[in-house]
Amino acid sequence: MRVFTASLAEMWFSARRRSRLSPDEATAELMLARRRLGQHAPASQRTLELVLAAAAGPATDRELAGEAAAVTAFLAALPEPEPARRRGPRRIPVLAAAFMLVALVALCGTAEAGALPAPLQRLAHQAINAPAPPPAAQVPRPSADVTPGPGATGSHSASAGSGSSQESSTGKPSASPKPTHTSASQGNGQPTASASASTQPSTSATDNGKGNGGTPGQGGGNGNGNGNGNGNGNG
Amino acid sequence: MLYGRFVLDGDFPDVLRLAACGEAAAFARLWRDTHPPLLRYLWVSVGDAAEDVAADVWLDVARRIGSFHGGEQEFRGWLFTMARRKMIDRHRYEARRPVSPTANGELFERPAPDDTVAAALEYISTETALALIATLPRDQAEIVVLRVVVGLDASAVAQIVGKSAGAVRVAAHRGLRTLRERVADATVTSPGRGGVTL
Repeated sequence: MRVFTASLAEMWFSARRRSRLSPDEATAELMLARRRLGQHAPASQRTLELVLAAAAGPATDRELAGEAAAVTAFLAALPEPEPARRRGPRRIPVLAAAFMLVALVALCGTAEAGALPAPLQRLAHQAINAPAPPPAAQVPRPSADVTPGPGATGSHSASAGSGSSQESSTGKPSASPKPTHTSASQGNGQPTASASASTQPSTSATDNGKGNGGTPGQGGGNGNGNGNGNGNGNG
Repeated sequence: MLYGRFVLDGDFPDVLRLAACGEAAAFARLWRDTHPPLLRYLWVSVGDAAEDVAADVWLDVARRIGSFHGGEQEFRGWLFTMARRKMIDRHRYEARRPVSPTANGELFERPAPDDTVAAALEYISTETALALIATLPRDQAEIVVLRVVVGLDASAVAQIVGKSAGAVRVAAHRGLRTLRERVADATVTSPGRGGVTL
C-alpha cells in the first residue's frame, strides 16, 4: 500500500514536471537524451539534432592514435601489489618480545634494589635470591619479658661477670625480649652459682654461702629474688 | 557507434577488474570506450591542451583504479570528475602564466561563431560540431558535452560540476537554445553555402 502510494506520488510529480516543460524544453530534453525528434520537428531543431549527433559521433583515428602509449603509461603507473601484508604480523611478536624483555629487566632491577612491595619482594627473594623484604615493626611482648625461657641458663654461664649488670641493680625485668644476653653476675664473681640460682634455688643458696642476702649476683630479677629467700632460710 | 551509450554494459565489471590487475587488453578496451569523449570534453574546455590533460587524467586513473567500485556510469562520473579538476588546474596555470601570442598561434585560435556555424552546416564533422559547442559560455558548453557526448544524466552531471540538477538542466536548455538560434541564423544568412540537407 505504501509502495502504491509512493508510486502514485512519483507519477503525479513526473506528470507535473512534464507539464511544466515548455515545448522547447521538452524537445531539448529529448535531444540531450540522444533521442530522435522525428520528421515533424522544425528544421532548426533538426539541424541542431544533426550537430549534436556529429559531436557524439564515432571515434576518429586521431582520437585513438595514442592507444599503445596510453596502455604503456597505464601499466607503468599501476601501483605495485602489496606483498600480502607480511610485515604487519611479523612485527607484532617482535615488539611484544622486546616489551616483555624490557619489563622483565626492569622488574629484576627493582627486586635487586629491594624496592618492590613486600609480597612481591618476598616472592623475588625466593625466586631469584633478591634481598628479603624488611621485617615488620617490632611489637613488645610482655609475656616473653617476664618469663625468661629455659635457655637463660646457658647464656648466663657463657657471659663473664665483670662490672655491674643493668638488671640486677634495679631488680626489674628488662624490656628486651632476650634478657639472657645482658645478664651478668657480679658481686661475688660466681656466675655459675648465680645463674643456677634462677633455676635451681636450693643449690645456689648452698654455694653462695651465708648471710649475704643482699648479694645481687643473680642475672635476672627472678633469680635474685629466689636466691635471697632460699639462702636465708637454709643458713 | 554513438557515445552517450555505455557500450561495455554487462562486460564492464570484468573489464574493470582485469584492467585493475594490469591486463593490458582490458585497459585498452576501457580506454577506447572512454578516451574519445574525454578528449572532446577537454577540447571544448581547454582547447589544444586536451591531450596533455587527458594523459594526466589517465595516470590518475591508473593510480586509483584499484580503489574504485561501481558501474560504468559511476566510472564515467568518477573519471570526468578527475578531468574537471585537472581542467580547473589548467585554467589556473594559464591564468598565472599567460601565453604571449605568436604568429603561428593564430592558426590555433577558434573561429568566430558565424564561421563555425557555416562550417558545421557544410561539413558537420565531429570537430566542427565541437567547435560550435565551444562557442557557448564555458559552463553551458561543459554541461552540453557531458550530457550529449559523454552520455550522463542531469544528476550525474550535477555531481561533477557541483550544481543542482535543476541548474544543470537550465544551463543545458539555454545552451541548446543558443545553438539552435545560431544554426538558424547561419542557415538564413548563408543560403548560398549549401546548408544542411535534412
